[in-house]
Amino acid sequence: MLSVSNLDVRYGQFRAVQGVSMEIAKGDVVSLIGANGAGKSTLLRAIAGALPIHSGRLLFKQQEITNTSSSSRVQQGLSLVPEGRRLFSDMTVEENLLLGSTVKRSGDWNIERIFSTFPNLVKRRHAKTGNLSGGEQQATAIGRALMSNPDFLILDEVSLGLSPLVVNQVYDSMESLKDAGTTILLVEQDLERAMRFSKRTICMLEGRVVLDKLTSDTNKEEITQAYFGLHQSSKQEVS
Amino acid sequence: MMNSLVQAILLGGYYALVACGLAFMFQVMRIINLAHGSLAILSAYLVWEITDALALSPFVSVLMILPIMAIIGLLLQRVILERATKGGELLPVLTTFGLAIVIDNLLFQQFGANTRSLSPYLGDLSWESYEIFGLWIGKLPVIVLITAIVVIGGLDLILRFTPLGRQIRATAFDPDTAGLVGIDARKIAGISAAIAMMTVAISGTALGLRGTFDAYAGGPQLLFAFEATIIGGASSLWGVFLGGIILAIAQSIGALIHPQGFLLGGHFMFLIFLFARIYFNRDVFTLKHWFAKRNKGEITA
Repeated sequence: MLSVSNLDVRYGQFRAVQGVSMEIAKGDVVSLIGANGAGKSTLLRAIAGALPIHSGRLLFKQQEITNTSSSSRVQQGLSLVPEGRRLFSDMTVEENLLLGSTVKRSGDWNIERIFSTFPNLVKRRHAKTGNLSGGEQQATAIGRALMSNPDFLILDEVSLGLSPLVVNQVYDSMESLKDAGTTILLVEQDLERAMRFSKRTICMLEGRVVLDKLTSDTNKEEITQAYFGLHQSSKQEVS
Repeated sequence: MMNSLVQAILLGGYYALVACGLAFMFQVMRIINLAHGSLAILSAYLVWEITDALALSPFVSVLMILPIMAIIGLLLQRVILERATKGGELLPVLTTFGLAIVIDNLLFQQFGANTRSLSPYLGDLSWESYEIFGLWIGKLPVIVLITAIVVIGGLDLILRFTPLGRQIRATAFDPDTAGLVGIDARKIAGISAAIAMMTVAISGTALGLRGTFDAYAGGPQLLFAFEATIIGGASSLWGVFLGGIILAIAQSIGALIHPQGFLLGGHFMFLIFLFARIYFNRDVFTLKHWFAKRNKGEITA
């Protein structure tokens, strides 16, 4: 469904993402893991169209989207829940959700279904999102992305700044997305949770992909080593 | 005294009408359009031409130039502003400044130095007035004031309650995230510029109906619009409405003090608000600030 080949994203001279390639098939649930500054968010934002791509190609449903605008990618069914939620804080929950349906893609997500998926939002329907708790804000941000009926949902650190209890709620509601066959790519700092949720794990280090395996074929130790870039040093110890 | 206050409020209606387009463009697109006044004069000339050529009422001609100005707005955004904004915040200011000079001089070349007015086409309406409590209130200024309320109210309702308004607000608030949500920022900017230019068309017509204009009358209109916007605070259109009225009252007080004090009074008020906005917290200018304080005082008492 999404094909990333040899992607380079730069901030001026700094290469935040270097030569990243990955294939994500329909129905995949992939978690992207890596330390701060590994280029995860940069990669996700470039895929969603919020950052310009320096070189490389991006194909979505066999169509080239390397240079298209973020709004046209939403139109094609690719939706990002940005890091830090990025809600329109002077608007109400309902207004934020309605903005999500700007592109009018057909599908079974509508405002009532969002409220039944995130029941904690019901009584906050007409509250300004700037006044909500972190969990309610996150639910609104996910709901806003779902309102476009995406085929491919990208979630950037949805559990950031939330209490463990709320994180559980958010992930519980995402299980139903998974069951519905939505393709999901997410960044998650909690390794155990990421491994439990996803079918596949990709680990990034300093802008490069250092590990890309089915979650069932790998283990916590291997991912941790990739996370800290310990592969080479351990080899050196052996030699 | 009472008379000059009422006249000032009516004049303020005109200022609000000129200012709302400028403020709208600044709010939504973060662009200070220095060609605002010149575009208003351009639309006044267009109305004048159509009225003269087709022997129509100016009120009908203005309806005809609304779509023309909307297209000019769209082109302004696509051809000039979109490129200019890529070069930083200062570039649109310089570009529109240049555009103002170009428009002024093209108008001068085409129409010469004669002053024009739309009032001859109005018949009796240009001098008819209502007599209320011994005050003579011109019908035309009342129409302009009502138009200002309708235009600003209409814009406010569109921004608040329609999907288009939501998308405009979202784009103004955070253009990057608006794109991620699926809003086509380019389309929204084009529509916003078109809407702003339609208000410019109405304000240019109002100027022509109230008095006279010539090719270089754009500068003062821009100045009044700018002062009203700063006094009212660029964040809300109703604030701009209030700003226009405060500006007109200040000018009238200036004129009462000294025959030449009309413009000075306005400038003085503008500077007071400008420095107040720089030195005081934003809150001071909201009603909430004052009422909240009073409530607190009652609780502690």
